[in-house]
Amino acid sequence: MTQTEIRRSRSALSRVESRQALGFVSPALLGLAIFTAVPVVLSIVMSLYNWPAFGERSFNGFGNYVNLFTKNPDFWPALRNSAVFTILYVPANIAVSLGLALALSSRIKGRAAFRVLFFIPVVTPVVANALVWKMLLQPKGLINGVSVSVFGVELPNFLADPTWAMIMIVVMSVWQGMGYNMLIFSAALEQLPDSVMEAARIDGAKGWRMLARIKIPLISPSIFFAVIMTMISAMQVFAQPQLLTGGGPGNSTLPLVMFIYQQGFKFQDLGLAAAGAWILFVIIILITAVQFGAQKKLVHYEH
Amino acid sequence: MKFKKTMAVSATAALALSLAACGSDDKGGNEGTGSGSGEKAQITWDMWAGSDDDIAALEATLKIAQEENPDIDIKLQHAPWNDYFTKLTANLSSGKAACVTSMNGQRLSGYADAFMELTPEDMATAGIKESDFTAGSLDIMSSGGKVLGIPYDVATMMVFYNKDQIEKTGAPAPKLGWTKADMEATLAKAGDDKMKAFGMGMAEFQWLALPISVSGVQPVTADGKLDLTNPAFVDAATWYGSFVEKGWADQAPSASETGWGESEYQAGNAALAVDGTWNAVSYLNNESGFKAGMVDLPAGDSGKNLGLVLGSGYGIAKNCENKEAALKVLGSLVGKAAQDSMASSGRSYPARVESQPLYFEALDASVRDEVKGAFDAAFANVAGQNTNAEWTKISETFPNNLVSVYTGATSMADMLKATQDQFAK
Repeated sequence: MTQTEIRRSRSALSRVESRQALGFVSPALLGLAIFTAVPVVLSIVMSLYNWPAFGERSFNGFGNYVNLFTKNPDFWPALRNSAVFTILYVPANIAVSLGLALALSSRIKGRAAFRVLFFIPVVTPVVANALVWKMLLQPKGLINGVSVSVFGVELPNFLADPTWAMIMIVVMSVWQGMGYNMLIFSAALEQLPDSVMEAARIDGAKGWRMLARIKIPLISPSIFFAVIMTMISAMQVFAQPQLLTGGGPGNSTLPLVMFIYQQGFKFQDLGLAAAGAWILFVIIILITAVQFGAQKKLVHYEH
Repeated sequence: MKFKKTMAVSATAALALSLAACGSDDKGGNEGTGSGSGEKAQITWDMWAGSDDDIAALEATLKIAQEENPDIDIKLQHAPWNDYFTKLTANLSSGKAACVTSMNGQRLSGYADAFMELTPEDMATAGIKESDFTAGSLDIMSSGGKVLGIPYDVATMMVFYNKDQIEKTGAPAPKLGWTKADMEATLAKAGDDKMKAFGMGMAEFQWLALPISVSGVQPVTADGKLDLTNPAFVDAATWYGSFVEKGWADQAPSASETGWGESEYQAGNAALAVDGTWNAVSYLNNESGFKAGMVDLPAGDSGKNLGLVLGSGYGIAKNCENKEAALKVLGSLVGKAAQDSMASSGRSYPARVESQPLYFEALDASVRDEVKGAFDAAFANVAGQNTNAEWTKISETFPNNLVSVYTGATSMADMLKATQDQFAK
């Protein structure tokens, strides 16, 4: 068999194999098309229409977007609330979960049990978590009860006060979300290279300097990942305000996703909801792009 | 080659199977076909049902309708209340709503486009006479001046009270035909350390009932204009909101507590609350173990009270292809036999007048006369609710804004004015 013949038979084989491979991936491709590509394209189309859940649909151009930015009284507050939540939640979540991971990284007794304990809120349903927090926070709840009986101080009605309501949503969200990032940070801290740590110690690094100059730069890829994912989940916050405050008082805790849900599923204006969803998508992509840009300067990769 | 063929066949089969799975189970849809000779017409009836008891009751009604229409094959499909409207919206958006679709009167305005208008000829086909139903009850299933369905039950708001607490505190007991001043006298004395006098309403009717009754004014005028700043209504709403300030009621803990006042009453934390007649039986048998009483809404300065007639009913979806068969089924579902069955089970207060006495017969003899008296009084002065296209949105904003009123962060008058400014066009 000459070289050319071998090459030819190989390429014939690879063609057959490519076709077979295509056959195997076609269900997945079809799934991707039906469940991802089509809905995405449809949602763009929807955002350009007056699209009630049922009844007459009419082309509206960028009318839904104009309506959101110039007429809708709840859109800007919703955008502001999502921003406030993200600005408060992301740093608090990262700080608390990093703190927990560092506290549990030394060989203390029962640290596995602590990790499980801190991870439990992540796996329990958010509805159950919210119910417990509601019981804690209401005027007749545990926190106010203890405050009144021990200190004689009546605390504010946390979930009915515009400022406190947002703070309490952030506090509950941090409590619920910290376990996940803690695991990521714990895993990164476990894998710190011994040689580097030893060299640092020999050079006299300890305490704060060790943490700020050695450990955090070494786990910065994990921090970067956690920040991106936490930021995205913060922009998409829905369940906590929906269950704890219903978006109130007024619209002070109504985030963008809840606004989209209300427009689409309560007021049946799917076009407006789709437009809102695309605005949210663009915001998330932009923030993520900025974060990836900052990554080059701030994140340290070991090569 | 053989391998390739096998693979292609199995891939096609898998695809076909998955597509078939997606496409099946849409019987609820565009049925109503089969009206041709020899073939039985198929009509689907879509209704909400939460528990096994609910489903059993629906099946009993289905049996009655089926017996009355042997030439029509009636299918029942149901979903729990919370899912029902989501499913209905999804069905409507794909043109697959069931021919006979159940609808709650308060939600009808949002779904008005989904239903056929029922003309006097349609009513005749269904065997329905307007005079058989509670006066004004056809308004429940009407929107924009068009009758879009027939009610199967009627309801209105009442004041429920805890008899044990009233007795304990010595507060004047609420009585039929009472007034705003009588209610104030009761509220001033009905609370103590353990129980507040009143549970503040958050949901649409639970909070609006007293301001409407006392002022005699609805927040939307008969021609659909938003009238939240009507001075009489503002005064009455301000009076209602002042219950918290006067210490008669607790603030609601959050805007998501839309059933706040009623749940406080049910739990034995409030002596009085406003709720619908639909909960009368569950309050009489409450788990907290207190004796429940009920009276009509208090009258304002005019000396007359005003209630809204509420309820649910059945309509015919616009996409239904066999209207005549659907009308016959509709006629049976609100017919005497079906209504008698519903009333005697104590599940709902029927819209058909001649079936109403059976509802009271199902109650315990010790409370029967009292409940009947309260129902008669509550339904004596009722009107259909005026709404407009924006009303769903407006009523959705109330709980969020009421929280701020109850905590004192804003006044009732300011809240009503802000809502009026936002939605009035």
